Amino acid sequence: MTIWPEEAIVRHRGETEFDFDTVDMTVNVGPQHPATHGVFRMLLTVDGEVVVDCEPYIGYLHRGLEKLSENADYRQAMGWWDRTDYLAGLNCEGAWCMAVEKLAGIEVPERAEYIRVIMMELSRINSHFMFFGAFGADVGSFGTSFTYAWRERERIYDLFEEVAGDRMFPTYFRIGGVTMDLPENFEARCRWLLGSIRQGLEDLDGLLTGNEVFVERCRGLSPVTPEQAINWGLTGPLLRATGIPWDIRKVEPYSIYDRLKFEIPVGTQGDVFDRWMVRLAEAYQSTKIIEQCLDEMPKKGLVLNPNLPKTLRIDSGEVYFRTEGTKGEYSVYLMARGGNKPYRAKLRSPSFCNLSALREMVIGNYVADAIIILGSLDIVLGEVDK
Amino acid sequence: MTSVPKQFTPTRQVPKQGLAEKIRRAVPNNIPLEFGETKTDVDVRLKPEHLLEVVRVLKEHRDLAFDFLRNMAGVDMQEQGLHLKIHLYSFKHNHTVQLTVECPPEEDHPHVPSLTSLYRAADWHEREAAEMFGFIFDGHPNLKNLLLEEDLHIHPLLKAHPLQEPEILQGIEEGPPGFPF
Repeated sequence: MTIWPEEAIVRHRGETEFDFDTVDMTVNVGPQHPATHGVFRMLLTVDGEVVVDCEPYIGYLHRGLEKLSENADYRQAMGWWDRTDYLAGLNCEGAWCMAVEKLAGIEVPERAEYIRVIMMELSRINSHFMFFGAFGADVGSFGTSFTYAWRERERIYDLFEEVAGDRMFPTYFRIGGVTMDLPENFEARCRWLLGSIRQGLEDLDGLLTGNEVFVERCRGLSPVTPEQAINWGLTGPLLRATGIPWDIRKVEPYSIYDRLKFEIPVGTQGDVFDRWMVRLAEAYQSTKIIEQCLDEMPKKGLVLNPNLPKTLRIDSGEVYFRTEGTKGEYSVYLMARGGNKPYRAKLRSPSFCNLSALREMVIGNYVADAIIILGSLDIVLGEVDK
Repeated sequence: MTSVPKQFTPTRQVPKQGLAEKIRRAVPNNIPLEFGETKTDVDVRLKPEHLLEVVRVLKEHRDLAFDFLRNMAGVDMQEQGLHLKIHLYSFKHNHTVQLTVECPPEEDHPHVPSLTSLYRAADWHEREAAEMFGFIFDGHPNLKNLLLEEDLHIHPLLKAHPLQEPEILQGIEEGPPGFPF
């Protein structure tokens, strides 16, 4: 006598795997869950341990950035943009300032350009360290990667505090330059910091890249082809992991990036391991950029354009200014129709676009791997939700 | 298979010379297009009913090859109606174009064809534009709210929408929650 109907009896598939008839189950992950890196919720439908469907829910951190920017002066709005990608606030400030400068035709003194690039690259390193720490925790090396990453992040934040007076949201840039000049000992401190950062990268590299558990879990997980990446709208390290050397700092250079020498690390498979390696190599390249800036920057000079109008009014115009944010293409669309406020301000946030491809990436993988794939996207919910 | 170069030739962020001509030649003559320039890109103005055909040509033409949807932004132009700005990019040629879809001003909820069949990336961009401005994207598989709550049927980025009246939104004041349009 059989208890199970005929078709539900184990069908042999290979040596070790058996297939039962199962009922799909819904697993809710988030919004308050450490593995979702913020207030992000995804509804996984699982068949056993395999994800068969995934529906992401966002918007828990929606603050109406675009509406607020439309109702604030061009200079006032900058504080809001800091808080989009809060791990790299200076990159966001930079994108906003450069977009307004492009729209209004405002020049930036050369020294200020160098200072901006130094600060933006430090922010990029800072954001990547956050990824290294959090991703290590996702994969299973719970505390150590965090501690290694935080050591360097604290040092970078200390430098930010010294330069701008604040750690995470410095609001240091201004339209037409930067608020104030660097402190006197900046160059020496920055060079010391670069050494420290390289040491930190080496430590993380040694801790995880060679770790067998880490490599086995990441290699070959959710590979993405270049065509898929382009169609899904992936940018940044995710796109470069597929092998396309597309970095806006090189392809459509802004600020002084066309004078600097650096390489664009690319992967081959587009899998989770490649994303990790690309970010690691990118942080190394950023230290190179900062070193060049320290060597080449004018030692004295203005840091803010002295001919700025008291109230910045822009008659008309549109601009779609793209920058390479830490997560991908961070672009600002601005439309002016007179007055001192933008008529329309739109953020093209890289995390938002990268996250929209999450469903395709996790389907067919195990639940535990879905967490790693989400971690490898390196999202910041402030930027996703605007 | 899209051909992606191993090396990109850097271009500054200014409108690309000759791109407007190429687009005019590639798109069939019976489709009215207006060309302009923004500070960074070539701007092409068109009507929503031609959008899908034009974008298909832009994507598939050899000299244009716009294979990447960068961005989509609605704009409330008040008396001129809603506009939809679409930024397309070509990895092959490293150029960008801005499409301005001009919806008729008399429509509150203008119909625009969805680009999800051509670009998978359009999914969330369209959902965002739909909830923020009230566009209806025909052919979109799942056009529900993305950033706002699912049952909130307001369009916050319209110029008529008040900025600082949370009481109305929360339903604390008299009347149903949501701002009447």
